[in-house]
Amino acid sequence: MSGRLVYAEATVGYPGVTVVRDTSLEVAPGEVVGLIGPNGAGKSTLLRAVTGTAQVTGGAVRLAGRELADYAPRERARTVGVVPQAVSAAFAFSAREFVLMGRHPHLARLQHTGAADLELAERVMERTDTLRLADEPVDTLSGGDLQRLALAQALAQEPSVLLLDEATSHLDLNHRLQVLDLVRDLADGGLAVLAVFHDLDLAARFSDRLGVVAAGSLGPVGPPPQVLTARLLADVFGVRAVVGTDAVTGSVAVTPVLREGAVTGERSGRVLVVGGSGTAAGLLRSLHLAGYEVAAAALNRGDVDHAVAETLGLERVDLPAFGEVDEAAVRAVARMAQTADAIVVCEVPFGRANLGNLRALAGAATRTVMIGAFGPEREFSGGEASELVESLVRDGALVVADTRAAVDAVGRLTAREGSPPSGR
Amino acid sequence: MTAPTRIRRATLIAVLLAALALAMLVAVGFGAVSVGPGEITGAVSRAITGEARAAGDAVIVDIRLPRVLLAALVGACLASAGVLYQALFRNPLADPYILGMSAGAGLGAVIALTATASVTALRFGVVPAGAFVGALLTIVLVVRLASLRGTLDVTSLLLAGVAISYALSALTSFVMVFFRESMASVVFWMMGGLTAASWPYVFMVTPMLAIGLAIPMTATRELNLMLLGEERAGELGVDVERFKQVLLGAGALLVAAAVAVSGLIGFVGLMTPHMVRLVIGPDHRMLLPASAIGGAIVMVLADLAARTVLAPVEIPVGIVTALIGAPFFIWLLVRGSGRR
Repeated sequence: MSGRLVYAEATVGYPGVTVVRDTSLEVAPGEVVGLIGPNGAGKSTLLRAVTGTAQVTGGAVRLAGRELADYAPRERARTVGVVPQAVSAAFAFSAREFVLMGRHPHLARLQHTGAADLELAERVMERTDTLRLADEPVDTLSGGDLQRLALAQALAQEPSVLLLDEATSHLDLNHRLQVLDLVRDLADGGLAVLAVFHDLDLAARFSDRLGVVAAGSLGPVGPPPQVLTARLLADVFGVRAVVGTDAVTGSVAVTPVLREGAVTGERSGRVLVVGGSGTAAGLLRSLHLAGYEVAAAALNRGDVDHAVAETLGLERVDLPAFGEVDEAAVRAVARMAQTADAIVVCEVPFGRANLGNLRALAGAATRTVMIGAFGPEREFSGGEASELVESLVRDGALVVADTRAAVDAVGRLTAREGSPPSGR
Repeated sequence: MTAPTRIRRATLIAVLLAALALAMLVAVGFGAVSVGPGEITGAVSRAITGEARAAGDAVIVDIRLPRVLLAALVGACLASAGVLYQALFRNPLADPYILGMSAGAGLGAVIALTATASVTALRFGVVPAGAFVGALLTIVLVVRLASLRGTLDVTSLLLAGVAISYALSALTSFVMVFFRESMASVVFWMMGGLTAASWPYVFMVTPMLAIGLAIPMTATRELNLMLLGEERAGELGVDVERFKQVLLGAGALLVAAAVAVSGLIGFVGLMTPHMVRLVIGPDHRMLLPASAIGGAIVMVLADLAARTVLAPVEIPVGIVTALIGAPFFIWLLVRGSGRR
């Protein structure tokens, strides 16, 4: 049976409460779709709509082409397996008996589990690394063991759709990866998987597509790199994070970063940074973490600063590798400069290729902070850069000694520009 | 399941049945006049084959035997109901007496008794029916009340059961005061006794036990799944709402049967499933029949004690079960209600 799970503009909730509105989502056989979002946003409620614990009050949820409401509970349980977040086991069933409970929807009223059921149970227990626990009473097992047994129980249902509700939350790292690898295998074997993830890295790594549930609705669903951006993380989770690519797995990696002190983390205002060759990397990171809306002036692809700006998800002007800051780029940087509360020029050498970044700052001198004096060691443009710097300083640009002083100066400029700290 | 399990299962049931038979034999034998096992089997076989009765047969066949059989039936009813409610509420402290169902059945029965005071013939149908309606309404009310705060937790359920129990007992007393002439017999009945035991009672309770036990016996898998919680049971294919209704109904039938013939007998439904579970584990396929037989044994022995300890004075059997059961209940509470 093809286990396609379809939410068609479904509105889901509990008696008297709507939790998630107008959800449209399709999970095809062979696919793992991940749901992420803050606690209480309604991810689990979306799953519960399938098992009947939550109600579909608008639109429809369809399972293998039929309306969910047409399914009897037993028939539904033959199609959909669920692995819950927490498994309760305050009773002395053996692990084997516990897994065999998953056979319930396949057994007739007075039929008892037979040899085939037992064989299936042992097979799924082997795959979930729980076979060695088979004769243990479940009320003596750890949360992680129980969670893997719950997966085995769900697999004993022989479902074509598998719902995981933070199903790896109690597992240690080893078993977490093991279980998700198994889920990936099962999906590759034709199972449709809809999984709520707590861990964003795992979500990115194991999902074919990701959706964000926040503020009562499901956002756009797409490949993890498109969905998981630093901006989304800040908006939805209120977390500053660096979104990069994991060097080994090649999947999106999210590194939440602690704010560098509560006060600096509350900063707001727009800051434009002129850098290159790695001179701006530290500053970009500091300002981003401090809470500023940071933009990067034109940078060449392949440049270290470009990589940092990209990882942080900053607004920027991209240049091809070894390309020049052309007129179009100058206009783009100038536009950024106009709206910036502060502009920082790092200790970058200027030559013909990047001179445009300096020219774009004309008229914004009073909001400009220059790091380090401009000496001959940075002059590769035949004097033109020196002239531009001199005129900026003459018009009111501030020259500071180092990055730290520049961050302080930015703090003063953004405060003066009437952008008070956003508060808490 | 597997072949060895099936053999173990049959063996255990056989052992329990043998123990019940032994307990019944002892209970029939003891009394104001003691009779030996030979006399008992002789009297029973003569009664079955229709032979002429020997001298002591009347005591055995007309008095002791129905009383012991009724005790066994009532014990089986109460213990089975206890198993059902403990699974339904995932609560080891659930018991028809504590949940107020016995009081509800009692009120229903008392109303039926007084309403049919002049037409004794009707009583065998009307009293259990009244008890059934009373028990069912009570459990629905208690569950509603306990769920008012959101979740159906142990504390709410016990508090609601106690509160409703008090209210229903007050109503019962009111009915009794109003119909003063039947008060003495009703009071004695309310304390839980089997003194009025007779063959018609046995024939009335037997089908109620059979139905009340047969329904859940076809759904022991669902009963096991309910232990995982209602949500999980639903995920694994149990039609939870319907199943709960069926269980409440079957349980109410069992309680009504017990209360209609023996009044309010507490703690048998609480203790027996616990003791059985300790020995055979939580699987309802075994737990339910084993508890039914276990409840029968407990009740036969409790009634024997009630009759003989202070002979010739007879204590209502409800007092005996309460004297043993209340400390057991406290022990369960102290041990922590989270685990069974």
